[in-house]
Amino acid sequence: MNAEDIRLLIDVLAERVIAASDELTALDQAIGDGDHGINMKRGFEAVRAEGPAMAASDLPAALHKLGMTLVMKVGGASGPLYGTLFMALGKAMPADPDRAAVASALSSAIAAVKARGKSDIGQKTLLDVLEPVQRALAAGSDAQGLRATAREAAEGTIPLKAMRGRASFLGERSIGHMDPGARSSEIMVGAILDALEQRT
Amino acid sequence: MTSSNVGIVIVSHSKDVARGAAEMVRQMVGPEVPLAHCGGDPGGGLGTSVESIMAAIAEAWSDRGVAVLVDLGGAETNSEMAIELLPAGQRERVVVCNAPIVEGAVMAATESSAGSSLAAVRSTAEELYAGSMVR
Amino acid sequence: MSAPTASRSVLMKHPVGLHARPSVKLTKLAKSFGCRIEMAQQAQGPWIDAKSIVKVMAMKAPRDTTLHFRAVGDGAADAVDALSELVRRNFDEDHADAPAP
Repeated sequence: MNAEDIRLLIDVLAERVIAASDELTALDQAIGDGDHGINMKRGFEAVRAEGPAMAASDLPAALHKLGMTLVMKVGGASGPLYGTLFMALGKAMPADPDRAAVASALSSAIAAVKARGKSDIGQKTLLDVLEPVQRALAAGSDAQGLRATAREAAEGTIPLKAMRGRASFLGERSIGHMDPGARSSEIMVGAILDALEQRT
Repeated sequence: MTSSNVGIVIVSHSKDVARGAAEMVRQMVGPEVPLAHCGGDPGGGLGTSVESIMAAIAEAWSDRGVAVLVDLGGAETNSEMAIELLPAGQRERVVVCNAPIVEGAVMAATESSAGSSLAAVRSTAEELYAGSMVR
Repeated sequence: MSAPTASRSVLMKHPVGLHARPSVKLTKLAKSFGCRIEMAQQAQGPWIDAKSIVKVMAMKAPRDTTLHFRAVGDGAADAVDALSELVRRNFDEDHADAPAP
């Protein structure tokens, strides 16, 4: 993956998350403390500013830097989770990955997020999107299939009862709302797929 | 010189709670314990920040180790993250205590002021939950 | 406790009793002695470790409680004397009648 591709990836990712800030805030106001949108926007504005530095390194280093920036700038519960996700991706990803390498890197990154958040799938978190997407990727799903998987997975969090994070204090009242972290994961999956398609 | 006692770091979602808890510790335990506090997210609102936790650990650093007191989940996760980002040699000497933030800080600091080890400081703080149904 | 070699009792007149700050002072002083030290609110016990801040604070002994100290080991007599004196001096708090934590 060359510098241009990395730059494009970072820019599209950042742009999509920042654009979704209000939506993420609204979702988080329903079942959280309402700061997911603001936190992610702050984090990805910092990421966008690091774009040139990231593009100047290889993909693993860029992913690591992305993760570190999110850890330092997002705050809240999502900072450590997304930070860990991207740092672990950077650790496991080769410079020029094929599909299998990406699927494998994502699998170890998901394990790292589970350990960090002391959580698992079914607890109404970003994992409920990440894990199905990883499985679909490993199974050979195309971009359209991956987008659909991510969307369905995010919607699948609506009827779940939250067992982690601020939402878990709401108990039954968390049912009927999409998890904000699941939505931001879905947005990121879509952004990454779009960026890869836009490459020349 | 305070560095011969275990350091205490207070991490709250609220800057005010962190500062207030630190004030209580100082008043009750005295100056012989390295002490630092932090609260608030990178934007200045309620939350926690890995950067400020790392700075607090540095401020309260002691070669005998540092005990961290936290309030809710995010503070614990961000503290664990901050510890992992410390250099090897330091990160093994910082622990997050499973204790209520204010009382735990007072108990931990009291234990530290007697020159106790990091393990003893931590277990004193953790006694607070040990007898109850909580956690 | 195996036969204590020293014991003393003292009436606590501190207006707010054995609250947080006095507890901190008491346990700090107790820890400065190597011997095992216990305290109780009644002569027959139950006895708690006087070096344990958590247990001492949990006592919440009010004013006009008689505190009993007993110790075994080196310096046991000095230990119970020092602790009793601390209580007798109202834990060296200047404004003993002011509200405190």
